Amino acid sequence: MIVRWLPILAPALLGLILAAWYNQSDLANPTFVLRAQMSALIALSGIGLSVLAGVGLILADWVERRHIRTLLEAAEERRRFLSRLDHELKNPLTAIFAGLANLTADVPVDERRASTASIETQMKRLRSLVSDLRKLADLETRQLERAPVDVSELLRDNFELLQERLAPESRQINLSIPQAPWPLPQISGDRDLLFLAVHNLLDNALKFTGKDDTIELRAYEDGSNVIIEVADTGPGIPQAEQDFVWNELYRGEGARGVSGSGLGLALVRSIVQRHGGKVSLRSRPGQGTVFALQLPASDVTRR
Amino acid sequence: MEETQTILLVDDESAITDNLAPFLERSGFEVSVAADGEQALKMIAELKPDVLVLDVLMPRLDGREVLRRLRSEGNWIPILLLTQVGEAGERAMALEEGADDYLNKPFDPHELVARIRAVLRRARPGKPPLAAAWQVRCGELSLDRRSRRVFLEGEELTLTPKAVALLEYLMTHPDELVSRDRLLDVVWGWDYPVGTRAVDTRVAELRRTLGDDATDPRYIETIPGQGYRFAPDVEGLE
Repeated sequence: MIVRWLPILAPALLGLILAAWYNQSDLANPTFVLRAQMSALIALSGIGLSVLAGVGLILADWVERRHIRTLLEAAEERRRFLSRLDHELKNPLTAIFAGLANLTADVPVDERRASTASIETQMKRLRSLVSDLRKLADLETRQLERAPVDVSELLRDNFELLQERLAPESRQINLSIPQAPWPLPQISGDRDLLFLAVHNLLDNALKFTGKDDTIELRAYEDGSNVIIEVADTGPGIPQAEQDFVWNELYRGEGARGVSGSGLGLALVRSIVQRHGGKVSLRSRPGQGTVFALQLPASDVTRR
Repeated sequence: MEETQTILLVDDESAITDNLAPFLERSGFEVSVAADGEQALKMIAELKPDVLVLDVLMPRLDGREVLRRLRSEGNWIPILLLTQVGEAGERAMALEEGADDYLNKPFDPHELVARIRAVLRRARPGKPPLAAAWQVRCGELSLDRRSRRVFLEGEELTLTPKAVALLEYLMTHPDELVSRDRLLDVVWGWDYPVGTRAVDTRVAELRRTLGDDATDPRYIETIPGQGYRFAPDVEGLE
């Protein structure tokens, strides 16, 4: 470490030596004052160079350390992802093993039927996991379709779908889309993917709410972005888990035993990022959660 | 009584062929199995099967190369390609190289049988399938598959890439009931929870652009609760 810092002192040292030499070379000279100033300038230049180099080195160190930290975090996240994947695969496989053992045993027909049905359910679970994993991988590479997307229409369609899925009066659901003084701007992107993103958020809200809860789908613009929010009065997400819920296969304490591949929010994040947007959430345990998607609007400047 | 139709099933994964072959036999086909592309080419020459079910990723000679070789020899045996990657690129490729149809792994074996039957029904012995044509035409509507351009009465239409892919699949499978799930699988490559809506939205876009009336369709007919069917009179141009 010390060795790295030594060369930085070189310009300062050199400046000081030169200055001293220059100063002492001929003291009788009438331009003594000028000489003193010159030598001071030389010394200062040397010291200045050293300081600059030092700052540069500190900056480079900082950037490098940050880079290493990002790499470490990525490695750590990868490790966590693999262990979660291992966990997600273990359960259905164990169930299939057990189901098969029942099938090969000498058991009555209805029991066989029950085993077959259970194996099929587990196969479907695995299939949906594989399918969602492929979507995530696909999203990284697939070329995004760029067409004008009418956000208001997209939200209304999503809301209708939610209404169709819900038993009447099982939850209070609200839709709020601004009309005045102008409608929401359009987004340039892939309508099907954006639809899926909003759908996944609503799907989550449904999973984590019960009978007397409220789910709200709303949107607004801030001049350059469209912000879509899905709010619910569910149990909320503990502070410590809020940063992780977007991660692949992450399951918080409250999400254990809830159906789904565990990739829904990761897909939402990936879709929004591919559209140049950002995802965020605000949650208060015991009160509820707001998921927000911020997407760059395509036609704001033209208005 | 109709002669039993023969299938050559080509996949290097014996776990798949061991289970699929008996299933296909129970569905009324005669089944032979090859484990790689080279073996497949030999067996095609010997057995002259009616249809080929071909996996893409295989050692030695992969499915794509088998397909290319057969087609360049002018062998138009119906081919159903089993793809593993859901990427649009791979599916477009399957079309360009003249596979008659394709299925994404993992698939339901019943769906495979349905696809095999449809491919056999469409096949015109000794002639190239529509899927191998560079241009397909139905009346005043034509689709250039290489340049991805669509013309109606000589005028070029503006369509999204997905709408073009959808039209392409429908036009190369004329007079065939295609389910929404099927369209989703081949055009989108994804199974969406909300996918059937996405299909309906694109079909509506197509109809709008083609000036097709849903109640009295010239091109795309809706089969309520099941899917869509394209008009029967499609011709392929080399």
